[in-house]
Amino acid sequence: MEANQKTVKIMIDEKELLVQDGITILEAAQRNNIHIPTLCHHPALSNWGGCRMCVVEVDGSPKLAASCVMPVREAMEVVTTNERILESRRTVLEFLFAERNHNCMFCPQSGDCELQTLAYELGMDHLTMSFSFNSFPTDVTSEYMTIDHNRCILCGRCVRACAEIAGTRVLSFHNRGPRNLVGFDLHASRGESTCYGCGVCLQVCPTGAITNRYRTHYAVKGHAKDWVAKESLCTECGLLCPTTSHVHDHTLIKVDGKLSQGNDRPDRGQLCYKGRFEVLKSGGERLVQPMVKGKDGTWKTESWDRSLALVAEKLKSIRRAEGGEALFGLASSALSNEELLQFRDLMVKGCSAGHVGSLDGDHFNAVSKAWELKGEPLKEASWKMIPGADFILLLGADPYQTQPIVSTLLRRAILETGIPVGIAGDMDCMPPYASFQFPLKEEHLPSFIKAFRAEAAEAGKKISKKSKGSVKGKQEAKEVAALVKEAGLAKSAKKAFQEMVSAFVLSTHPLILVGEAVTGLKSPSAFQDAMKLALSKGLVSGNVLRLMVLKPYGNSAGAWKLGLSSNGGSKAKDSWKGGLLCLGHPKDLDSKAMAELGNLDFLGVISPYFPETLADCAHVVLPKPLGLESAGTYTSVDGWETGFVEKVLDPPEGVKDSWETLKSLADQIGFRHKFKTWEDLSQKAQKAIKSWRPASS
Amino acid sequence: MGVPKVATVWFEACSGCHMSFLDLDEDLVSILSKVELTFSPITDFKDYAFPELDVGIIEGGIGNEEHLELAHKLRKHCRILVAWGDCAVFGGVNTLRNWLPKADVLRRGYVETESTVDGVIPIHEELPPLLDKVLPVNEVVPVDVFVPGCPPSPEVLAYSLVSILQGRTPILPNEMLHFD
Repeated sequence: MEANQKTVKIMIDEKELLVQDGITILEAAQRNNIHIPTLCHHPALSNWGGCRMCVVEVDGSPKLAASCVMPVREAMEVVTTNERILESRRTVLEFLFAERNHNCMFCPQSGDCELQTLAYELGMDHLTMSFSFNSFPTDVTSEYMTIDHNRCILCGRCVRACAEIAGTRVLSFHNRGPRNLVGFDLHASRGESTCYGCGVCLQVCPTGAITNRYRTHYAVKGHAKDWVAKESLCTECGLLCPTTSHVHDHTLIKVDGKLSQGNDRPDRGQLCYKGRFEVLKSGGERLVQPMVKGKDGTWKTESWDRSLALVAEKLKSIRRAEGGEALFGLASSALSNEELLQFRDLMVKGCSAGHVGSLDGDHFNAVSKAWELKGEPLKEASWKMIPGADFILLLGADPYQTQPIVSTLLRRAILETGIPVGIAGDMDCMPPYASFQFPLKEEHLPSFIKAFRAEAAEAGKKISKKSKGSVKGKQEAKEVAALVKEAGLAKSAKKAFQEMVSAFVLSTHPLILVGEAVTGLKSPSAFQDAMKLALSKGLVSGNVLRLMVLKPYGNSAGAWKLGLSSNGGSKAKDSWKGGLLCLGHPKDLDSKAMAELGNLDFLGVISPYFPETLADCAHVVLPKPLGLESAGTYTSVDGWETGFVEKVLDPPEGVKDSWETLKSLADQIGFRHKFKTWEDLSQKAQKAIKSWRPASS
Repeated sequence: MGVPKVATVWFEACSGCHMSFLDLDEDLVSILSKVELTFSPITDFKDYAFPELDVGIIEGGIGNEEHLELAHKLRKHCRILVAWGDCAVFGGVNTLRNWLPKADVLRRGYVETESTVDGVIPIHEELPPLLDKVLPVNEVVPVDVFVPGCPPSPEVLAYSLVSILQGRTPILPNEMLHFD
């Protein structure tokens, strides 16, 4: 609804109000704390006017009006509650209950259901009409959600959320009349459909039609009224999406996004499959007591004191015998800035380790070198610049895997503003949406980026000389053709390639997103070429490059800026004799760095879970809390923001905070950290991140 | 009017509403001292000849021919008919079977149950046949007072009964309404 600055005088329930012209009656009422029940309306979604729960009487008209879609008008008189209105609302509600299966006592959503709450509010103690007992399908093909059409009231919130917030448009209304239901794509099941599993439909669903497959049972989740809601930030991928975490009895029950139209983030409060569902998964058996491997190879629990002493002793003895060079320290970039800085300090200063890095460190060797190349401090583009871009190029990036909300923003940019998006590399992320697609293998990416640069340079020249009708030089054309061939592009793709490059050249606000397939390459030249390509379009004010790196971990940017991920000149892995691992995320164990750990004299692991895959090569494992179980700061994927995440859950009994564990280790090694308290450490970490500058070459 | 006469019946339900009523503990004594309980699953009388009643209470949905007959009989003999619990009010958990053919339900219950050996679906002239669908009481006879809940809490049951005995029509306040 078009709103303006003009105000109008209206009466709601005999109260005279001065409200903004153009807003709806519902908005006017809500802004003045007048309650009108709603059902299909959701503040983060467009107005629908479908359920008629919000009907009011306007100027005594015999026909009730839906307040969520009716704009205010000068001298309008509104009545929100009288017997006629209540009767109408109750009837609508009864029809909804009668139409499908809304039996609360066998619904997992009971107690956390807007339909139920409305029934209580309107005093619906029975139905005056018969139940239909029509049967509808139930879809359990999703790992995350159950879609039970029997519980659906067809309010269309999910359909709107899927289009307006997720930018997916997978959900729509299928069939007609009493067989009407919300379906995926063209009558596909959830599993077969193009649904990305973000779960925004689940969050806006006012009934039990779309329910979470985790924490479904009463025995686990208890009563919704007993839950404690904690404001937090999601640290899964680095977008630091604000969340509300519902906790009951030391268990995370559900995570909601802060859906609204007006938050200052382009995501409108959407969460992705990682932040909403993956965090509810168990990463294996929690470690609650230190464990030490005996001489016979079996793991036994051990006291904290003895385990810590053992780790310190082993690290010291290797340093004595082989020198600090033989020691390494590897941390997960899922850890908080505080954990990372403390760990780095312990390993670098305390143990004089030969190699200290992060599990995703190799991705940043190339990146850090490129930053050095330019010689002046440049800032990466922010992910929040996506909606303002007029051309986006994805190079070896799969945002759905790394930063799923970025893929949402891209889809929305394409669907809402029709901007051209070019993809080179993995095609899984958004096949039907992009204008230009080049499914390329990793090894072809460097040539592709080179070819892109060469073609862009040529096209740029051509455009500037257009009036003179000049054509590109034969030599350059040949070079581009050779590179295009080298990049593995078919001849037929050449035209699309040229169109894409010219879209880039013509764009004024292009944005290049570089992903793991490029940063993970052995040679840094591909990333440097991508950077030069971005530089060819100039900088955004504030020395901001038109390029962003989609990093593998939630706090990769923090790890990188704290110097854990750019240790290019470190000691080769085959000279490692012993070291310490600090893990934090279930995916840590799948990382490449883990597989490369060879036979070591000693390996200590600090981890929330028992590291099954390291059972053979590790010697001592020490428990630590999960990210949600301790406070910490995390840096956004673009490095622009650092957010403080409060402790949401208590760690299991017996698990010490990493601050304590690392401090005890430092004490026993005979090293004193420069920070005395955790707060001090936190300040130092944030300062280090803020003042980060690329090392000059 | 002398001591109000009250009867309660238990139809297709788990008896949880009666259990919840018994959960009133010592308050039960004061309530029962104000009424004459003529018939109830607790009394275990086999005689269904209801006297003229003031309050008839039904727990459970209408699931078989016997329930149907008794509901009509009770309605005829009582001044105020009360539906206790979600089963009587909405059909309740029993309605799970309403989405299936009756034959499938009986076969699943009497023949295909994992612990059943040589199961037979009981058919006897003394056994009331199951209805195709279990129905809320008000689909069969008019109901005066609805007390939903699975089960309604003892407080809610007492509140509604005491209100009736005091001559008021109980309208459950928002916080007493519960469908689970």
